[in-house]
Amino acid sequence: MWRPASTWAREAGAVFAKEWRSELRTRYALNTLALFAINTLVVVSASLGPLGAAPGRGGEALPVLLWLILLFAAAAGLPRSFVHEEETQTATALRLAATPSALFCGKLAYSLTLLGTLEALVTPLYLTVMSLDVARPGLLVATLAAGGFGLAAGSTLVAAIIAQAHGKATLFAVLSFPVLLPLLLLAVELTRGAFSGGPPGVALMQLLLYDGAVLTAGLMLFPSVWNP
Amino acid sequence: MLPALSFTEVRRRFGRLAVLGGVSASVAAGEALLVTGRNGAGKSTLLRCLAGLLAPDSGTIDYREDGGPPLDAAGRRRRVGLVAPDVAFYGELTVAENLAFFARLRGLGRERGDELRRRLELPPDRPAAALSSGMRQRLRWAWALLHRPLLLLLDEPFQNLDAAGAAIARGLLAEHLAPGAGPGEAPGLAVVANPVPLEIPRVAASLDLGA
Repeated sequence: MWRPASTWAREAGAVFAKEWRSELRTRYALNTLALFAINTLVVVSASLGPLGAAPGRGGEALPVLLWLILLFAAAAGLPRSFVHEEETQTATALRLAATPSALFCGKLAYSLTLLGTLEALVTPLYLTVMSLDVARPGLLVATLAAGGFGLAAGSTLVAAIIAQAHGKATLFAVLSFPVLLPLLLLAVELTRGAFSGGPPGVALMQLLLYDGAVLTAGLMLFPSVWNP
Repeated sequence: MLPALSFTEVRRRFGRLAVLGGVSASVAAGEALLVTGRNGAGKSTLLRCLAGLLAPDSGTIDYREDGGPPLDAAGRRRRVGLVAPDVAFYGELTVAENLAFFARLRGLGRERGDELRRRLELPPDRPAAALSSGMRQRLRWAWALLHRPLLLLLDEPFQNLDAAGAAIARGLLAEHLAPGAGPGEAPGLAVVANPVPLEIPRVAASLDLGA
């Protein structure tokens, strides 16, 4: 159903504000993401030591470890946004009141800001405990922004798909793997370039194209996934 | 043109279980259709089909407002008001915050939510999770009437309400079915589902889905 742009933006803004208000009252996702990320960070740093200070000792794995921490922290917290609506039966009220695309964008904006907060917390800590120097900080910031957007959009879409199914946790892992794999490979390659000073090549463009594709797919598929 | 609803041979199965076996009825502006039947007879399923929340396997649902073409499922979802046991609200938000959120989704200010909250004697600052079952039912009524829908779908609408709550809800239903106060304001219509017959105003027809 067609809605004027201002009404649509107001709806998306209302969903975004409601998500954060609920989150700040319950702190479920914030606590889950932060605890998971910090625990993983501590295990990695305590087991491997400051790998950045000795590049010959497996420094190639450093970008992979950073994105694994972000991926698993996101997977622990982001699927909740739609699953919670179904489990608490608030989905019916939302289906009758919200435009699907505005709902998707409001939820995506919430996931994005949540993930951005996580990245802002985890990345400096990771660089510090691993004694890493970043040769191209601008490229690292761009990769985290574009990678975070793709991770949030992909997770939000998969979360919406699995919300009405049984075995949600297993389904999330199975469905998100093919959706997020290209993103992770590109993000790792770009992060490696940011650490070592290598050029981004076409990978940054590919990552931005991936983001656009996932966002478009989300906006097109979500109404069918959300409604009968 | 006044709003009108008719549905013909609506069928719905869940796997092998045939819940709705071809039901038909119609209701005009200012009237209520009473749907009765035992538990599991398909009353809630019928209301969910009418609301656009479930797609019927076959049959037609024709709901029009303002003499326009029949609204599709997406259109009906946006327009109807639904009171049903499976409508829940955000437990961590207060009554006022829940109503304000849904009002904002519908492009409305807070005034209508505040008015309904006062009419239904709902405590504004109490989290929805802390409401009694009767107060939750009052909140469902406030939420359903928020956008002044012309079609009200009521599934066991007086469930858990005390005498005072039921009287307020009956008054709201009577107002909904009466001609509007403003010039040209159409009266609403309602489909009311309950296991046993109810005393409600302006019942024009009954549909029994099975005892």
